[in-house]
Amino acid sequence: MFRLPIDSESFPLGKGPMVMLILFLISTLFIFGRSEEKGENLEFWIFANTHYEEYQARVPIFEAQNPGVNVQLINFGGTMHDKLLAAMLSNFGAPDLVEVEITSIGRFLKGAIDEVGFVDLRPRLESEGWMEKLVVSRFTPWSYRGRIYGIPHDLHPVVLLYRDDLFKAAGVEMTEVETWNDFIAAGKKATRDLDGDGEVDQYAIVLDRRTESDYFSLLLQQGGGFFDEEGNVIIDSELAIETLEFFTALFNEHKIATPVYGTWHGDPSNFAAMQDGKILSILAPDWYVGILKSQVPQMSGKWKAIGMPAWHPGGRRTTTRGGTMIGMTKQCENPDLAWEVLKFTYFDRPGLVNRYETTRIIPPLKSAWDAPIFKEPDVYLGGQPLGELFIRLAPDLPPRYQNPYWSEGADLLNDAIFAAVTGKQTPREALTDLAEKVRALIAKDVGRWGEM
Amino acid sequence: MGRNVIFSPKKVFMSKKRTTNLFWNQQQKIAPYLFIAPFYLLFVIFMGYPLVSSLVMSLYEMRGFQSRIFVGIGNFTDLFRDPIFWKSLRNTAYFAVGTLTLQLPIALLLAILLNSKFVKGKNFLRLAFFAPVLVAGVFVAIIFNLVYDQRAGLVNQEFVLFGKEIGWLNEEKYVMPAVILTGVWQWAGFNMIYFLAGLQGIRQELYEAAAVDGANWWQAFIHVTLPSLRPVIAFVFVVSMIGSLQLFDLPFILTNGGEPADAGSTIVMYLYKNGFQFMRLGYAATIGWVLFFIIAVISIVQLKLLGIFRDE
Repeated sequence: MFRLPIDSESFPLGKGPMVMLILFLISTLFIFGRSEEKGENLEFWIFANTHYEEYQARVPIFEAQNPGVNVQLINFGGTMHDKLLAAMLSNFGAPDLVEVEITSIGRFLKGAIDEVGFVDLRPRLESEGWMEKLVVSRFTPWSYRGRIYGIPHDLHPVVLLYRDDLFKAAGVEMTEVETWNDFIAAGKKATRDLDGDGEVDQYAIVLDRRTESDYFSLLLQQGGGFFDEEGNVIIDSELAIETLEFFTALFNEHKIATPVYGTWHGDPSNFAAMQDGKILSILAPDWYVGILKSQVPQMSGKWKAIGMPAWHPGGRRTTTRGGTMIGMTKQCENPDLAWEVLKFTYFDRPGLVNRYETTRIIPPLKSAWDAPIFKEPDVYLGGQPLGELFIRLAPDLPPRYQNPYWSEGADLLNDAIFAAVTGKQTPREALTDLAEKVRALIAKDVGRWGEM
Repeated sequence: MGRNVIFSPKKVFMSKKRTTNLFWNQQQKIAPYLFIAPFYLLFVIFMGYPLVSSLVMSLYEMRGFQSRIFVGIGNFTDLFRDPIFWKSLRNTAYFAVGTLTLQLPIALLLAILLNSKFVKGKNFLRLAFFAPVLVAGVFVAIIFNLVYDQRAGLVNQEFVLFGKEIGWLNEEKYVMPAVILTGVWQWAGFNMIYFLAGLQGIRQELYEAAAVDGANWWQAFIHVTLPSLRPVIAFVFVVSMIGSLQLFDLPFILTNGGEPADAGSTIVMYLYKNGFQFMRLGYAATIGWVLFFIIAVISIVQLKLLGIFRDE
């Protein structure tokens, strides 16, 4: 019989310490003893589950095409951006490739241009002719001071998703709505107290007054923004003030909007209100349609979509909300290989078609748009080919200029919107105060470090 | 002229013995420090160094990943003029007061009930009340997001309000009460265990003596139970206060980052936002140190008021 060459009884201090020592040695072996896989290794960090699942299926194809290449996919979920920040601060441990969310990228752009932890991808994009193949306005969220730090994963055009049955019941044909003025007129008919108890039972639209999401989408549609291309604060421009006045009026003057139920549009509470027929329309980016399909499948066939109402006849019928980029970090030791992985995951047509199939996300690569899947009728929208609508709107996406102070600005913008909608400040006061605060913040940094 | 040195084997032997003795004596002195060295080494590396480093960091401000500049007490003066910091401080204090005035009496009441002879199934009830603390804060927040659901949530629908739609997480005035109530659900059972241990440690003779003196239940509670529980109450008060002042994950997830209008923002949440979202690490370190001093002062005052420093 096999016997351990150690007598546990005679081990100093007995069995317990011996077991602890053995466990310690085993875990040390696991931590330090893992041999690197042979060949070229690349690390790719992801924060979104749906993206992770897509790459899990796609990356083995790339590895098969490139023997000796190992791409390690790591999904850190919501904490990924913090981990990336720590890795860049310590100049150690960052991945070769990483996906970054649109509201998080600003913090990585602070400081001198050479301190930014991402590789400028403009030279590669231009030399290989990719700029013309993608929707150019979609590079703006990932560019700063002339450099392009990321490739867009998506476009996220926004449409107006509406309950055709309930609008028709109120005598409104939504396909005839072209401008926001038309929408207000339609909304006043559709916002109703159905049982006569003095309380409104259905609202024409649900809007988020807690955060910048809906207001900022409307502002982008108007051609405005928080910062302009040069990084100037323009959130107190007349355009921004007019947009907030309009946004506020939807709640308080026209009374056709209800605040989002729960904490955001994807809250179960909001879905419950939709199912109860309390919400008749919503501004929906492509990814939100994917969420609706998976979270509220029982509403299949009840929604229809049109382009967003324009601010003026013939004006832009869409905006953009949300987004992800893929970037290459300066800690990447094999940029050429990383670039190949990047192109495979972001520019490969079969992969992009598969992405639309699972998430409804429209790719920024224009040559993929003629794939038959985008013209297919969408059962969830009663047979309407939603992909076709998104692609028709996509070339008209407004630019969204990125800035290192976006996070601070957005945090304060949330408060300004809430203050305006709840009547604590007028839209002009709220946005003027906000702009002053952000300008003061920037001026303080410029005073300390000088212009960067 | 040099002195004649005479070789003496006895002298060499004696000297060796003295050295061995000296080493043995020293070893006895050194050994305890060696035994506790692992803790102190880890403490210095993972606690001492970051503490000192963060104190230094609070005197600097960073911009980007490498540029930093000495600002002296600039971050502290900025902080005291920052309205969001004061709002976060108010929210945190609101939660702390709510916790102390609501959660601890409930915990004590539960402990008294579970310590009485009249309640059956004590073991099951102890486990049931204690169980919420085993659930991670993140999951508690997700669960309570559904409980406070405006449209179909337990509180608004069946449980309390029978269909009245209160935006618990949507209206400023309800946000902190919602967070406090969630804290009560999660932590009351945990504090109950401390009180229960304290109650079980009170000598029965004291109650018997009180009964002989004609004390009723309430008088026995006021004059026997509470004074005997003083060390436990002091401990639970201080620990709960510190925990309340460090509140982060619950409101962060429950309110989606402190909105609306920073109604759910706490000091640690504001620290996190500055450090990780705004990349203002110096300012974040300053918030951390201010929080440290607030906790230190409040804890000392609490312990003094509860008489922990008093000689019995």
